[in-house]
Amino acid sequence: MTQSETKSVDQTAGPQSLMKVSDLTIAYPMEEGEIFRALKKLSIDIAPGQIVGIVGESGAGKSTIGKASLGLLDDNAIIETGSVTLDGAVISGLLEEGYDAIRGKKIGYIYQNPMTALNPVLTIGEQLIEAIEANTEKRGDDARDYAISLLEKAEVPYAEDRLSKYPHQLSGGLCQRIVFAIAISAKPDLIIADEPTTALDVTVQKAVLETLRSLAKQDNIAIILITHDMSVVANMCDYVYVLRYGELVEHGPTRQILTEPKEDYSRELMASIPRIDHYVERFAVPGLGNVKDRTRALAYLMEHKTDQTIPKGEPLLKVRNISKTFVSEAGIFTSASPFKALDDVSFDVYSGETLGIVGESGSGKSTIGRIILGLHESDPGHEILYKGRNIAELTSRKDRLAHCMSLQCIFQDPYSSLNPRMSAGNNITYALQSNGLLSGSAARELAGDLLELVGLSRSDASKMPHAFSGGERQRIGIARALSFRPDFIFCDEPTSALDVTVQAELLNLLKDLQDELGLTMLFVSHDLAVVRQMCDRVLVMKSGKVMEAGPCAEVLTTPKDDYTKSLLDAMPRIVFE
Amino acid sequence: MLSFILRRLGQSSVLVLIMSVLVFAGMYVVSDPVAVLAGDDFTEEDRQALARELGVDKPLITQYLVFLSNIAKGDFGVSFVYNRPVLDLILERLPATLEVAVLAISMGLILGIPMGIYSGLNREKKATKSISFLTTVGYSIPNFWQALLLILLCSVWLKILPASGRGDTTDLFGIPVSFLNWDGFSHMLLPAVNLAIYKICMQTRLSRSGTQEVMYQDYMTFARAKGISKMRRIRRHLLRNILLPIVTITGLELGGLIAFSTVTETVFSWPGIGKLLLDSIHHADRPVVVAYLIGITLMFVTINFVVDVLYALLDPRIRYK
Repeated sequence: MTQSETKSVDQTAGPQSLMKVSDLTIAYPMEEGEIFRALKKLSIDIAPGQIVGIVGESGAGKSTIGKASLGLLDDNAIIETGSVTLDGAVISGLLEEGYDAIRGKKIGYIYQNPMTALNPVLTIGEQLIEAIEANTEKRGDDARDYAISLLEKAEVPYAEDRLSKYPHQLSGGLCQRIVFAIAISAKPDLIIADEPTTALDVTVQKAVLETLRSLAKQDNIAIILITHDMSVVANMCDYVYVLRYGELVEHGPTRQILTEPKEDYSRELMASIPRIDHYVERFAVPGLGNVKDRTRALAYLMEHKTDQTIPKGEPLLKVRNISKTFVSEAGIFTSASPFKALDDVSFDVYSGETLGIVGESGSGKSTIGRIILGLHESDPGHEILYKGRNIAELTSRKDRLAHCMSLQCIFQDPYSSLNPRMSAGNNITYALQSNGLLSGSAARELAGDLLELVGLSRSDASKMPHAFSGGERQRIGIARALSFRPDFIFCDEPTSALDVTVQAELLNLLKDLQDELGLTMLFVSHDLAVVRQMCDRVLVMKSGKVMEAGPCAEVLTTPKDDYTKSLLDAMPRIVFE
Repeated sequence: MLSFILRRLGQSSVLVLIMSVLVFAGMYVVSDPVAVLAGDDFTEEDRQALARELGVDKPLITQYLVFLSNIAKGDFGVSFVYNRPVLDLILERLPATLEVAVLAISMGLILGIPMGIYSGLNREKKATKSISFLTTVGYSIPNFWQALLLILLCSVWLKILPASGRGDTTDLFGIPVSFLNWDGFSHMLLPAVNLAIYKICMQTRLSRSGTQEVMYQDYMTFARAKGISKMRRIRRHLLRNILLPIVTITGLELGGLIAFSTVTETVFSWPGIGKLLLDSIHHADRPVVVAYLIGITLMFVTINFVVDVLYALLDPRIRYK
């Protein structure tokens, strides 16, 4: 492997190279004398004007490359071996003054989240003009005029007016364009873009990336694009490096890496990406480890299947005319302003199916789930029937408890949805125990069974949540939801905080569980491709209204509504002409 | 902005009105000016005559309404003890207190903020550890004890600064002030330093914790990545963001210094307003105490209003809400 690597570096480096990362190892001393290496003997080569993608999952060391090039590493970081050179001059490990001639001038930097990269208390104009004055000869009115022309180049509408605005008054997409303007202000040779679209809404990602590419082309600026998103790489990059645990896995021209990856890990990474144009039964990723005995857990879960009492053709959940209005508080001179989060939404969910809800942030998709679970009260005039009974009429404690247990939720953020002061096992069973439904020893037994069912080991029950990765925590969350023997699970963006391979494993697990237990699911996501893989039918939501509904395969391939079309158009895809 | 100002004005007037009722009723309950002012040989008739003269024979509500209507005419009453208009008494003493308070607060800001930012940015340096030690000491030694130590050091041993009195004054727009000539200024220094020590420690700690929070924000790293010099990063990006809590606390502290620096004024025999309050309470000089406390209320309300406006100027996110 080492041989083939060296060979291809020689082929692609070309006659002149702009930036060279050679043999770079960055180490962080940890507690108890241990050393964590964020990068291990990494070599990367960037030619002038080239757009190079660096992909990998969290912990792969992608961002460290950018930080090392700009002298932004943490104080305790040690460069053990190797260096970064720009135009032949070493730029890693310089003193602070050494970077004066590099930061902003030769290398521009684009941050992941534009809303936090811009200072909230300074105007856009000041933040752009200070960069111009720091890195070019332009001063005063010249700098201001240049700032306006830069904003126009970055396709910011009403450029002149924006100078006096503050970051919080503009959308994330506009803020990122302003960051682009700052990055190109001194016509640098290279821009390092660290996940430039991750924090943006899907609908604007594509246009923002398009702007970045055209800006780079105009001034022949090379880009290092750090991302975990393969579709971004497919649309932007000429050449790709795949990283894992700080090591180079594979590199080559984009098309080759994306279509014919050679290494197992790259293949796995590609197979994990949910595709909208292609349905797969299960993602081709390694399974959930050795599952010893699932029969006991499955027997427990099947013991009380209650949704079989529903007559054929009747929905398990029937939602009619739910609306939700949030009202802001009235001031002395300002009247209260209502905001309609949901506007007259009706739908049915049938036993054993998965209904998807897609939409941008703020479309009201999570609010639906919260109303069904009883976490929010709907505006009057609605009706929610579950198993044929109106849930508003469930008044006795016994009925309500049975209802709660039958409807469960898997939350978006695996880090905040587990109680950090309880062991994994207690997290799974405390609700059952506190309702007196389970004895201590039975609870331990059940927690162990369920952990094995979701692919963890029995002994994990005694560990605390912080000892688990995000994906493992989300499995504990699933085990917790299952402990109630639910018929219906509301999944609120369950994989949006996870890496793509972890997402694939988790989605496989949910599908397996649904097949075996006949679960009914309401699956909320902003990711159309994930919905395509998971759901039978889908609702497309915008501003609290249902725009289109129907079978997944139909709505997401031949949409009728314009909004659905625009969502699908904006979606990043991996397509090669 | 205008609606904000109007709203605050409305709230403030209600607050001042409530305060005036409380103070007026409070003074009525705790002291009887006739008992304090009457001589031992006063007959019952003399006492009634004195009460009539002071206007304290009428029911409380009538007294309060008379007091209000007088204020509307700009008349805050006449001191029972000095037999002079209350307003004159207060205005005579106020400049002395104000100039010391402002000097002390300025020292706190000018020394405290840079020290705080420095120690926030350089956590491991020796100077940071010394600053941290000194602020702890400054916090822990009681104010009056610091005053005595200052007198011992500067006036008794080194003999460089006077320990008491106000010194020469210069008239500024008809108001006597000390800070415009050296003799007056040298008299101001010890009381001001005495008041400032605590403020310096507080501002240092406030700006240090602010700095430590702000320096790890993305926009600080981004400013570095886009090639902004360190001085400018500190002056524009960091300072603007740490000023919010500092402005709030400084406003409250300024009010506190003007109203309640009685201990320092007593130790240094500084003829400020704190001493006037103490004497008046002692003598049940109701008009002075009431006018003084209402004045203090007005001052706090004004300072808080200025703080809110500054807040909105410093943080645009508040402005547009």
